[in-house]
Amino acid sequence: MNNITLGRYIPMNTVIHNLDPRYKIMAMLTLMVAVFLPSGFYGYSIIACFVFVVLLLAKVKIQMIVRALKPMIFMLSFLLIINILIIRTGYVLFTYSGFTMYSDAIFQTLYITVRLFLMIIISTLLTVSTKPLDMTLGLEDLLSIFKRFGFPAHEVAMMISIALRFIPTLIDETSRIMKAQASRGVDLKEGSFKEKIMAILSLIVPLFVSSFQRAEELADAMEARGYAPSAKRTRYKQLKTTYKDVIAITLVFGLLGGIIWISL
Amino acid sequence: MPIAFEKVSYTYAPNTPFAYEALKEVDLAIEMGKISAIIGPTGSGKSTLVQHLNALLLPHKGTVTVLNKVINSQQKTKDLKSLRQHVGLVFQFPEYQLFEETIIKDIMFGPLNFKCTHEEAKNKAYKALSLVGLEFDLAEKSPLDISGGQKRRVAIAGILAIDPEVLVLDEPTAGLDPQGAKAMMELFVKLNKEEHKTILIVTHDMEQVLNYCDNVVVMQDGKILNHQRVSDYFERGNQVNEIHMHLPPILAIKEDLIEKGFKLEGEVTDIDTLAKSIAKELGYE
Repeated sequence: MNNITLGRYIPMNTVIHNLDPRYKIMAMLTLMVAVFLPSGFYGYSIIACFVFVVLLLAKVKIQMIVRALKPMIFMLSFLLIINILIIRTGYVLFTYSGFTMYSDAIFQTLYITVRLFLMIIISTLLTVSTKPLDMTLGLEDLLSIFKRFGFPAHEVAMMISIALRFIPTLIDETSRIMKAQASRGVDLKEGSFKEKIMAILSLIVPLFVSSFQRAEELADAMEARGYAPSAKRTRYKQLKTTYKDVIAITLVFGLLGGIIWISL
Repeated sequence: MPIAFEKVSYTYAPNTPFAYEALKEVDLAIEMGKISAIIGPTGSGKSTLVQHLNALLLPHKGTVTVLNKVINSQQKTKDLKSLRQHVGLVFQFPEYQLFEETIIKDIMFGPLNFKCTHEEAKNKAYKALSLVGLEFDLAEKSPLDISGGQKRRVAIAGILAIDPEVLVLDEPTAGLDPQGAKAMMELFVKLNKEEHKTILIVTHDMEQVLNYCDNVVVMQDGKILNHQRVSDYFERGNQVNEIHMHLPPILAIKEDLIEKGFKLEGEVTDIDTLAKSIAKELGYE
């Protein structure tokens, strides 16, 4: 259960790690918009180069990205098959016993592949280089713009940070209960359909029970310390904009501008 | 020796920055038909060790032999299911694994997984229920509606119902009140004496080691530091300090008395034997 590498924060001291999380989140969103613009071969090459440079700057190991992308291959090959069967545009590549394959089937799949890969890499970059807590701080600041429309920015940020905090706990818990039930003869791989349902039940019910229990305890602990969501709070950690953040966001906006210009 | 570890190494998350070697070339042979305690500081590899006993973890190097079954890194998990019928493992806080609607159904879950008929499973479940000292009228209650100590008993009954020859318990008394803990330990002694089960207990409580166990395995940093009879282990008090744990109070008093010039003879295991040897030293027979 420890092999969930995708998106796990890796503590390091690089330019990217030290950027203000608010700007990093904005940059990520901007890059996502750029990825979704139909900018053709040149556009995607530019974005890919940019992302690659950022990867190098953040000292993210390329193997890690490759490992993160591997599970996608199954989905993408499925997509390729569907596209080959459905898409009937572009020029004919070949005809085999009455079945014709069109060039757009390949191009469409490539298109989606590139977009998906870029999206995953960009979001991985954000999570790998930003502490979950910093991320929620940044998110809270960004969302507080909507506060005047009644949006509960602080509450949402708190919920996200609690959720993030409990992911590792839940993973540990899951593997513990799996092992405990395996000791009682549960076999998740073998067995009839009914046995498999029982196996999954034996995992999910205890997980739910302990999650609810934990949630209750956490709520009590927070209330005992006087937590009130609506209270005005100060922060120990203050986010500060530096010239590096400005440069970074300018570069990203510049990139988006360029992509828009290309795709027009 | 039906349970033997030979040069067993185990690493968590190998080939990543988070790699952690929990067991380092462990050699160990467990005596059958006895109660063995496994002690050691947190992170010394106790839990990792016991999870090898029913092949929840496979050794990365070396072999584990359990009841004539050889477990090594190449083993297919498919062949290991039968092993889990013979080695019952009770995890820390086992009450979290309860999930059925009724207590009796939950206890029957194990035997049913090992291909018992419904009738057999029911018989075994009731037998286990009485072994752990629970009333039969609890049987139809939900396992979520009973107290923490009772839940623990139900969970242990769930393993006992499988009727394993070897019973492994990871801190079975953690979080129980003193009476509950005592009753629990007495249950294990009873299982050992009457049902002739081999029992392994991971514990932090030195008093339990002294009062209920035959052998003690001391672990530190993924290695076996010591493996001997309990009485021999406590003979030299300073051995316990080596792993930063405390002597049971009764032995601590004995050590203090000896330090102050008392000459205490005979084996001291509880208040009675201590009182006797003090009386002897003072000349009262």
